[in-house]
Amino acid sequence: MKHILGPRSAFDGGLFLPDRKSLLARRPIQTLHPDGPLQVPLTVRADLRTECIVDVGDTVVRGQALARALQSDAINAHAPAAGKVTAIGRVWTANDGFLPSVTIEPDGTDQRTPRHQGWDEESLITQLAEHGVMCSEPRAPLHVVMRKAIESGVTTLIVNAMETEPYLCSDLRTLVEHPSRTIDAICDLADALCVSNAILAVPFRHRRVVRRLRREVVGRHVTIEALANPYPQCHPVMLTKAVLDIEVPVGGSPLDCSVVVLPLGSVRQAADALLADEPVTDALITVAGDAIEHIGTYRVAVGTPFSDLARRLDIRAPVRQVVVGGPLTGVAMGYRDAVVTSTMNGLLYFAHREDVRPVPCIRCGWCIEDCPVGIDPQALMKLEIVDQPSSQSATDLKACIECGLCSHVCPSRLPVAESIYRARVRVHSRTGDAS
Amino acid sequence: MPIKSWLAVDAPLRSDAPHRRAGGTHRHILRTWMLAGALVGVSGAAFHGWRALLILALTVVSTFAVDLSFVLATRRASSGRLSRTFLVGLIAGLTLPVDVELYVPVVCGALSAFVGNIIFGGWLHPALVGRVLVQFIFLNHASLAVMGGAVLLPAYIFTGDATASVSTRYYDGWLDFEGEGAQAIELQSPQRALRAFAEGKIPPDGDDYFEPLLRDVLPPWPDAVLGAVPGGIGETSLTMILIVGFFLIYRGYLKWQLPASIFLAAFVTVAILPVGLADGYRWFPVFAVENGRAVGLAYCVYHLAAGQLGLVAFLIAGDMHSSPMRVQGQILFGIGIGSITIFMRLYGVVECEAYWAVLIMNTAATSIDRLTRRRTLGTQPPREQAALA
Repeated sequence: MKHILGPRSAFDGGLFLPDRKSLLARRPIQTLHPDGPLQVPLTVRADLRTECIVDVGDTVVRGQALARALQSDAINAHAPAAGKVTAIGRVWTANDGFLPSVTIEPDGTDQRTPRHQGWDEESLITQLAEHGVMCSEPRAPLHVVMRKAIESGVTTLIVNAMETEPYLCSDLRTLVEHPSRTIDAICDLADALCVSNAILAVPFRHRRVVRRLRREVVGRHVTIEALANPYPQCHPVMLTKAVLDIEVPVGGSPLDCSVVVLPLGSVRQAADALLADEPVTDALITVAGDAIEHIGTYRVAVGTPFSDLARRLDIRAPVRQVVVGGPLTGVAMGYRDAVVTSTMNGLLYFAHREDVRPVPCIRCGWCIEDCPVGIDPQALMKLEIVDQPSSQSATDLKACIECGLCSHVCPSRLPVAESIYRARVRVHSRTGDAS
Repeated sequence: MPIKSWLAVDAPLRSDAPHRRAGGTHRHILRTWMLAGALVGVSGAAFHGWRALLILALTVVSTFAVDLSFVLATRRASSGRLSRTFLVGLIAGLTLPVDVELYVPVVCGALSAFVGNIIFGGWLHPALVGRVLVQFIFLNHASLAVMGGAVLLPAYIFTGDATASVSTRYYDGWLDFEGEGAQAIELQSPQRALRAFAEGKIPPDGDDYFEPLLRDVLPPWPDAVLGAVPGGIGETSLTMILIVGFFLIYRGYLKWQLPASIFLAAFVTVAILPVGLADGYRWFPVFAVENGRAVGLAYCVYHLAAGQLGLVAFLIAGDMHSSPMRVQGQILFGIGIGSITIFMRLYGVVECEAYWAVLIMNTAATSIDRLTRRRTLGTQPPREQAALA
């Protein structure tokens, strides 16, 4: 019966959201070659310092380093296209605001740096650092995450392919189009981490993909775990609970339970770096929304302006909201000049912005029922104005995984998730807790 | 589209996640509940005449007027409040019998708004607060303690005159009754009959105790389900209550566990608790068999269909402001309402026992919420904590 109905949800709460992927999931990945100036950020996070190693007027080829890491936990930046450096300045990114950047005018050729096929298990982590592989959850370079995992003595690697937010399907398309390459990369990462247990978590509802992957892993030390996909099953804490039935301690990460959870996007980048010696120069993003004509999953060069992308994919109505990431956890942007970065997995152009007028709470209890971690979001809202939260409230604040489901379901349109986040920042700033 | 205009000028620089919300808003919820209440009101008007609509209108207007005056006087933001006020007035009207004097709904509505909404802040169901206060204030009004009343005959639904009623001893059911010129028929309230039976006021027929009640006093089963019995405007038609109740459940605005637990608890309670018969108390009346017929079971089922239990289960107990928030809490809440209602009906003296049961359980809603709180993911279960200690 389980094979017909699928697995049950592994946690109380959560919600099966309308996924809006029926069309997106069928469209193959397309590559958008750059045809305009690219403003390439020289670092992936504001606190990771790099040094620009090119000058205005230099000619660069694809994959050439543009910036060198100045810290051990920073990564190099690479040219996404062959061309000429026309400016050095700064550019707006969704997650980090302004970052230093280099503007490249592509020359239309596909010249690239020569490939070096040579790495072993010891140098794999260095290879990842040199190729600029980034992890989106947690937002840190992959080699840093892996080093931490090795230091923590992880025994299990979970690769997260549970895209439970609406619209997003870059992971699904990766699994459909490159299953063997993905499994190869997982095996390499598992070997480097010295883990005995490598698990690829995929939604049960994509049954053909699951069957294909199960054929692919025969004889390999990777297990395919097909899970129910209520939102936010994609969160590492919920994934650890669903796959291993282990509860991550409040305020902690899966590393505390000897588990490392890597997003499939990072594994894809690692596969490019390890198997094809390709530095990270592009992002695989789902472009969707009611303001865009040609929705789909695209491989887009890092540094492509959102406006350029919108023009190439045909806009059918003025955009009133641009969301980087999924509609529940993504960051809404208003800057015209923002650019694509390597950690993005979705870009949504909406012609309509939801009119949110909050009214007093009607005590429907929907936020409590749907909260995946079992906290009382409606009660936590009050902490925004309370000086001394109770120990239970302080624990609940830490336990919140910021999935945004409470705000999503709230019929009173209260900014529940936002209030909890502010209360959390306020309490943590006063207690000096950095978690 | 030209590139210059790709991003609208009124697009905000930043907004917080989530950027897309689920469909149901508080407006949808209130409108759906109002629609449900209005349909039940219409069913009351069908069986009791146009005066039912007048009673409903007076209650709503009076509730609305008091609350609007409060909002204007205190200059408070009223977003969503007045819609709820309308719903409170409607529910208060549904609890009143059709033959009350016209000032009673006015007072009931005003008390619902002033005492229930403004003074208590809605944590006790405001409509029921108004209703029970009216019951006390007009204690001598026979119409409020529904002993019996007129029900319009099938040919005169909505339009008939309830005062042109006849009384008969030979009654085979509402659908089959021919009034011979009368537009309505005088019937006894099934709730009142069940109370009288519990008090031992219905004489036995030889060794049969339940048979006289079911055969001679209670209305035929189809009448009780259709609503062709006396009672409050919204209390009688179980059919309409079930229809709107299932609609509310389908829309997700009412958890099915709540009415289910109310009816189940009521059934279990009435099945167990003793009734006072001439030869003493009889426990487990559900197992009573007379002349080869399972009269005990019929007696228990009549308890579910009679009185305010249906209205309470589907339209009143689910009020979001005054009920527990989690499903487990609502099940406890429902069990409390069902069992208290039956207990008060069998042994109590006050009228409107189901409304009292809701008010009693309203006071426990916060405690129930605390009791049924989920364990936060990542914290140790209490048992493990105790073991560690």
